[in-house]
Amino acid sequence: MPLVLPLLLAVALFCLGVYGVLARRNAITMLMSFELMLNAVNLNLIAFDAWRLDGLATGQTLAIFVITLAAAEIGLGLAIVLLLFRGHGHVDADAARDLLETADTAKEIDR
Amino acid sequence: MTTALFAVAGAVALFASILVVTSRRIVHAALWLVVALGAVAGCFGALHAELVALVQILVYVGAIVVLVLFALMLTKAPTNPLPALTTRRSPFAAVVAGVLAILLGTGVVIAFGNEKIGPVPDGSAEAVGTAVFRTWVLPFEVLSVLLLAALIGAIVLSQRAPKKED
Amino acid sequence: MIATTWRVVGVGFSVLVILSAILLYGVEPQVTSFPGTGVGAAYWTFDVRTDDLTVLLLAVVGVVSACVQVYSIAYLHERAASYTALVTLFTAAMVTVVIADSLFLLLIGWEVMGACSYLLISHYWERRDARSGAMKAFLITRLGDVGFLFGIFVLGLGYGTFRISELGAGDISPAALTTGTILLLVGVVGKSAQVPLQTWLPDAMPGPSPVSALIHAATMVAAGVFLIARLYDVFVAAETTLTVLAVVACVTMLFAALCAAAAVEVKRVLAWSTVSQLAIMFAGLSLGTADGRHAALFHLVTHAAFKGLLFLCAGVLLHQVGSAAFVVLRRYTRRGTLRKAMPVTFVTMTIGLAALAGVPGFAGFFSKDSVVEAAWHHARDGSTVGWFVLVSVCLTAVLTAFYCVRLWLWIFFRTPALAGALGAFEDDDAMADAEDPDFSKLRDGSWLMRGPLVLLAIGAIVLGYADGLHLSWAIAGLTTVLAVLGALPAYSLWRRGADPRPVVLEHEFGADAAYGKAVVVPVRWFAKLAVLGDRDVIGAYVRAAGRTGTLASQGFRLLQTGNVQTYLTFAVAGVVALAILAGVIGA
Repeated sequence: MPLVLPLLLAVALFCLGVYGVLARRNAITMLMSFELMLNAVNLNLIAFDAWRLDGLATGQTLAIFVITLAAAEIGLGLAIVLLLFRGHGHVDADAARDLLETADTAKEIDR
Repeated sequence: MTTALFAVAGAVALFASILVVTSRRIVHAALWLVVALGAVAGCFGALHAELVALVQILVYVGAIVVLVLFALMLTKAPTNPLPALTTRRSPFAAVVAGVLAILLGTGVVIAFGNEKIGPVPDGSAEAVGTAVFRTWVLPFEVLSVLLLAALIGAIVLSQRAPKKED
Repeated sequence: MIATTWRVVGVGFSVLVILSAILLYGVEPQVTSFPGTGVGAAYWTFDVRTDDLTVLLLAVVGVVSACVQVYSIAYLHERAASYTALVTLFTAAMVTVVIADSLFLLLIGWEVMGACSYLLISHYWERRDARSGAMKAFLITRLGDVGFLFGIFVLGLGYGTFRISELGAGDISPAALTTGTILLLVGVVGKSAQVPLQTWLPDAMPGPSPVSALIHAATMVAAGVFLIARLYDVFVAAETTLTVLAVVACVTMLFAALCAAAAVEVKRVLAWSTVSQLAIMFAGLSLGTADGRHAALFHLVTHAAFKGLLFLCAGVLLHQVGSAAFVVLRRYTRRGTLRKAMPVTFVTMTIGLAALAGVPGFAGFFSKDSVVEAAWHHARDGSTVGWFVLVSVCLTAVLTAFYCVRLWLWIFFRTPALAGALGAFEDDDAMADAEDPDFSKLRDGSWLMRGPLVLLAIGAIVLGYADGLHLSWAIAGLTTVLAVLGALPAYSLWRRGADPRPVVLEHEFGADAAYGKAVVVPVRWFAKLAVLGDRDVIGAYVRAAGRTGTLASQGFRLLQTGNVQTYLTFAVAGVVALAILAGVIGA
């Protein structure tokens, strides 16, 4: 099996994930796109592990670690999304502009 | 044999992923995510990483997607198709993602175009287990602490702020 | 306390100057060199010298400055410390000029005098006229000093030395000599307030009277006369310069005397008379003979005594009455009170005016006669310049007598014709006549003020005999007749209570207005142009830089939407761009 096959699939998944994160309006779908990107990384790890066969199963171990991390990340991410929903009544990432610094907030910060 | 298996699983994963990021119904997108993750697990299996494939199905399909569905429910996500699915920047985002894909694809093809994956020994569970608890035991422990921290963080974040008493 | 210290220092310094003059009297002339400095071919040292001229000027400066310092103790009470310090510095600068044997050392003293005169004239800086007068004095003398500086360069490089004692000896091209001396003359004309740079001296009158006495009698304006006397060999060699000097002097003496005849303020009359008398000295110098130089220096010494005396008397009037304007003084004098209340001032001022007018027996009479005599000798030898000078000095003698008698009669005596009215000087306020001012507080002032007056009054008589009596009876008779010719019309006008002042004289021939149009207005225009250039051209760049920054930041601010996805998009796009760039560069 050529190595580029899983690698190209990983690239495709990753870029779909990037598109999803950048373009989707709903915060939960953004998180779902993150999962796609993490999966692309995992695919890379597994493919290179199968290619190298170092005997320590490094790639697979790391993939498991990444899956664990993904679990932690989605837990926190969803908590943040719920907080957003509680505060604003929606989970529209485009409409959440609390980071915007207007002239008024700038004055407050200066004070 | 494995190549064919991988190709089929990969095609399914790709198709499902496209639907995940383009579907007009959010709940459908979440369900398509299940398909995509399962297909990726199939890919893992085709690469003889059975343990990882199983963990993938268990953790992702079993836990994470369920969590996502709960979140959708809690945020009162509509089940009907949304009119404004993407932001105004989606064309630009598509261009950026496309360029990135071309860039990474070209790089991968140039670097590993001629490499082949040889036959892989079956049953990697024992090797992974040995590696995790011998070579990688310290990162493993650190990761458990991280999970604990994420747990506490999630609890703190989702707690309702106590009302101030003057 | 500080003021007292400075007063002691000031008087002590003046006494020191007198002492050194006494000690140096009759000593062999000698030059002392100090290490110097130089640029390229021009090398100069800082030398001092002592000779007869130095001793003479040291004595004059010392005596006058001592009188002024002592007089100032009683006269001036506000800001006395800085005032006394500046007067001392002024004296020191004049001493530097007098003893210098290096043109540059002389220039240093010369410039310090200019700065001190500016500071002293503006002593009452609360008054607008004092400020503007000081500014005017400074600017005009500076204008002359530019010529002076270039004159030093031309002469010094032409002779190959900057030592005054070696200047006359070397070879120099006639063109360089004439140019250099003419340039020096510009500085002298500025410093001594000769036409056409005469306007600053009358406007310097708002300064304290003792300062006027110092400036007019011993320092500043006398420095010009001193300089030409010092460089007499050089000037004599430059025929053209001497002719120019003669023309300037003759025009100035008549011009200033006419202006003095129309002035209605005591100090202004005296200021114009200084200009006129200085011109007589320059006229003596311009003859180019040893007699002429001698006569000029003689006149310088006697003039120092009686002009210092007159300004100190004017100071007493200012101090007691509060003004030296004729119209104010007339109010006090119409009952004849002024001279009875201040007998010492009256007597000494009479002596001073007599000396100025050239009344036989007083110092001014002898020194003026010696100038006339020198001019006559020169004219008899067939010199046009001599005739020119002779006629001008004679005419000036008439005018001088006129304005001296006019001044004396109008401020000290009541007018018979007007029966005590203010008369000719009452321009606007008819009701000012109605009540008498308070006479009871008028007095001569303390002995500190009277002492210098008496001393200088003695000088104004005795100094005339210091040169030895060699009277030419014909010339003495002529000048006496001329003085009487001047005095008679003044007396007759006063008897009739009339004081005709032609408009052209009152406006001092319109010199100020003309200079205003010719110099001040264009300079203002240039200043406006410069301001415009600064504000609208250079400033435009500065403001544009600021505005560009503001606009750019306003533009960049649009990027800050508060939307995480936008930020992320740009971040990823940036990463992609960097990756492409790295690839391109790597390839």
